[in-house]
Amino acid sequence: MVRFEDVALRYGNGPEILKHISLHFDPGSYHFLVGASGAGKSSLLRMMYLAQRPSSGKVALFGKDVAGLSRRKTALLRRKIGVVFQDFRLLDHLTARENVALPLRISGDTDSRRDKDVEELLIWVGLADHMDALPPTLSGGQQQRVAIARAVIARPSLLLADEPTGNLDDRMAVRLLYLFEELNKIGTTVVIATHNEALVERFHHPVTRISDGQIWTVETVAQGEGGNRAGAADLAAGLGADLGATAGRDGS
Amino acid sequence: MSRGRRRQAVPLDHDASGRYLPLLVAIMVYLAALALAGAMVANKLAARWDRGLAGALTVQLPPAAAGSEDSADPVLQGVADLLTETEGVVSVEVMHTGAIAALLEPWLGDTALIGDLPLPRLIAVTVDPQAPPDLTALRRAVLAIAPGSLVDDHQRWLSHLLDLARAVEIMAAVVVALVVLAAAIMVAFVTRMGLAAHDQAIELLHLIGAQDSYVARQFQNHSLSLGLRGGLIGLLCALPTLYLARYLLERVQSDLLPDLSLRPYEWSLLVLLPVASALVTMVTARITVLRTLARLP
Repeated sequence: MVRFEDVALRYGNGPEILKHISLHFDPGSYHFLVGASGAGKSSLLRMMYLAQRPSSGKVALFGKDVAGLSRRKTALLRRKIGVVFQDFRLLDHLTARENVALPLRISGDTDSRRDKDVEELLIWVGLADHMDALPPTLSGGQQQRVAIARAVIARPSLLLADEPTGNLDDRMAVRLLYLFEELNKIGTTVVIATHNEALVERFHHPVTRISDGQIWTVETVAQGEGGNRAGAADLAAGLGADLGATAGRDGS
Repeated sequence: MSRGRRRQAVPLDHDASGRYLPLLVAIMVYLAALALAGAMVANKLAARWDRGLAGALTVQLPPAAAGSEDSADPVLQGVADLLTETEGVVSVEVMHTGAIAALLEPWLGDTALIGDLPLPRLIAVTVDPQAPPDLTALRRAVLAIAPGSLVDDHQRWLSHLLDLARAVEIMAAVVVALVVLAAAIMVAFVTRMGLAAHDQAIELLHLIGAQDSYVARQFQNHSLSLGLRGGLIGLLCALPTLYLARYLLERVQSDLLPDLSLRPYEWSLLVLLPVASALVTMVTARITVLRTLARLP
C-alpha cells in the first residue's frame, strides 16, 4: 500500500528534514507514527498524501511509483486517500455539511443518497446540531471532527491523519480512533501521526518512531498483546450503547 | 450539498474582481460596439459611394464665351450628340449654367454673381455598367470636338474615398482586436489574483483529488457570469450613444455623411458582443488557471 525506499526530503536548499526513510505498510494495516514535534511526522505524511515529492529515493502508493504519475493520475490516486490535516483545512465559506461532502462533489458523486451518509457521519462525530454551521463558528474540536468526517466520507483505501486528536478530549479522541478502527476492519489502511503516547498505548497496532528525520524503531504487535485491543474495545464499549450501534452501522 | 443553491468550492463571489471586472468589461464592450458600428457604417458608406458612381461619367468642357447660350453652343451640342450616339451610353444630360450655379451656390454665394464667372460646361452621362463604352476612344472623340475637355469617370476620386473607407474599417477592426486583447490580459491578471487569493482552498481541493479542470471550472464559470454581465451593461450604454449619433447625422441631411441605420444582421452582431465578451473572459480564465496550475507540483 505504502512503500518508501531510502527516501530523503529537504525543502529548497535547506537541510534534510527526512533521511534514509524506508518503510512499508501493507494494505489493511493500521500504524501509528510517533515522534516529538518537529521530528518529521507531518513531512512524512505530506509525501504519503502527495503534497510533497521526495528529494531522493522512491515513494510508491498502491503499487505505483508516484514519481512518474501524470497530474491527472495523481488526482485520481489522491481520491483514494483520506487525510485529516493537523490544521483541519476546512473551507470557511462552506457549512460543516458541505465541507464533509466536498470529496464526493469532487469525485463527481452526485447521488443524493450520499447526503444521508454525510448527515449520519456528522451525527456520529457529535455534530448533529452543527451541520449547517460555518467552520469559524465551531470550536477547535468541532472543526477537527468535521475534518475527520471529510477524510472518511468517501471510504478511502488509505487514511492518513496528522494529530487527529490534538484538539479533542480523551473521550472523543478514543471514539474517533475507534471509528478509524472500524474503517480499518473493512480494509482501509490507516496511518496516524501523533505525539500522544498514552493514546497509542491504548490500541494494539504497530508503532513507527521518528526522531530527527529518521526512523528509529518499528514496534510490531507482539503475539499475546491482545489485552491492549481488549482494553481499547472495553473503552469503546464504555462510551455507551449508542456508539457501538452507530459504529456498527457505519462499519457495515 | 442539499440545502438551497450549492456554493462553489472556491469562494470567488466575494472577491473584489466581482465588483470591478464587469465594469471594465462594460467599458471594453462599449468601445468595441462603437468601433464595430463604425466599421459597418464605413463599409456601407463605401458601398453606397461605389454604387452611386458606378456607371456615371462627367464630361467637362472649357467655359464658353461670355454671354453665349448653352442651347446655341455648337460645341456643347456636338459633344452631347456624340455621347448620345456612343454605344454603352444610357442617357446624356447637359447641365445648364443655372444648374451649375445652383450647385456652387453653397460655396460661392449669389447665383447672379456666379453667372459672371467663367464656369465650365458639364454633361452628366449615365453608362451601362455591364457594357460601358471604350473610355479611351470616347475621350479622343470628345477632345476632337472640344479641345481641352475632360471626361471623368470619377475612378480616381472614388478610389481615394474607398481607400479612406477601407482604412476606417481596418482601424475599427484593429480597435476591436485591441479591445479583445486588453480584455483578455485584464481577465488573466484578475484570474491570477484570484488564484493567489485562494491558494489554500485550491491546494486543499487538489489534495482531496480535484483535477485541474475542476478548479478551472470554478474560475471560468465565475468569469463567464461577470463577462456576460459586463457585456450587457456595455451594450446597453452603447445603444443610446449610437442612437444619438444617428439622430445628429440625420439632422445634417447630407448625402456625403454616412447613414447610421444598421441592418438586422448588423444589429445581431452588436447584440452578440456581450456573448463574445463572456466567452473571451471564460476562455481566458480557463487557460490562465490551467497554465498556472500546470506549474504547481
